[in-house]
Amino acid sequence: MLIQLILVAALLLFIGRLVAQFRNQKISGWEFIGWSGLWLGAIVVILFPDITSFLAIKVGVTRGVDLVIYVSIILVFYLLLKLLLRIEKIEKDITKLCRQAALKDEIKDN
Amino acid sequence: MEILVIIPAKDEQEKIVEVVREIIQVGWPVLVVDDGSIDDTASRAKAAGAAVVRHPLNRGQGAALKTGIDYALANDFDQVVFFDADGQMMATEIAKVVLPLAEGYEVVLGSRFLGQAKAIPWLKLLTLKMALGFTRLNTGLKLSDTHNGFQAWQVSVLKKIKLTQDRQAYASQLLQEISRHKLKYKEVPVTIVYTDYSKRKGQSVFNAFNILWDLIIKR
Repeated sequence: MLIQLILVAALLLFIGRLVAQFRNQKISGWEFIGWSGLWLGAIVVILFPDITSFLAIKVGVTRGVDLVIYVSIILVFYLLLKLLLRIEKIEKDITKLCRQAALKDEIKDN
Repeated sequence: MEILVIIPAKDEQEKIVEVVREIIQVGWPVLVVDDGSIDDTASRAKAAGAAVVRHPLNRGQGAALKTGIDYALANDFDQVVFFDADGQMMATEIAKVVLPLAEGYEVVLGSRFLGQAKAIPWLKLLTLKMALGFTRLNTGLKLSDTHNGFQAWQVSVLKKIKLTQDRQAYASQLLQEISRHKLKYKEVPVTIVYTDYSKRKGQSVFNAFNILWDLIIKR
């Protein structure tokens, strides 16, 4: 089906980007493995959707697509939380730097 | 007993000279923490006779106060007063606010409801009353006012408390810390003048939502 082709093409593009980023050392080996694993898994599920139906019935959800959506939402929220915490830490670090700079260079007479 | 008056200031060039001069006139040394102003606040405060330190970027009132506290620690001050840059507070009342520290209190909180607040806008009043209820729930402190920026602290006490909130939520955090460490505190009446300038410069009541968010998300 066309949708399968489009999705797989998009994901292959993602993986291509990952490989490039890994080569340029923008991401670590573990990040590379994690993300490419996720996208490869997605490709498998897109090509063989019956896998999800099988799993869905195992865990008690009726449709495979529903299971995929549930898992995706959980993943997205998890990543969102991680991002929030990360930003918070960066904010704190910036404040620390500003404080150090302020106290080090007390403004003397003009 | 060295006392330092700490004023966090962001873009307050219109008022800062007057505010600093009034405090120096009644005899207290002043530190202005310029919180990343893009106007002339720092140099005007300096010219008016204050010590000035400057955040290269805007980090918020809580962050600026913490910087002021670190300055007080590094320069061996024993007590600090938190004061606003926008002319809402009266320099002549500083003496009254620091007095209980000499009587053995560790923290003194200004209260506009024990005192005569002049012309509080009604929406502000409503928000403040709700904040009061929240404080009671949150900290167990029975205060007549909450989030009043006019405060005096023993520096030795500030050393052990946690002040990690960079923005307005710092005010609630300080109250939580008072409660957690069972600090000996006292409220004293202070006058807060709501002028057109301070209303324009001050925070909108809608910021209450941001504060709640900060308090819940970022412990």
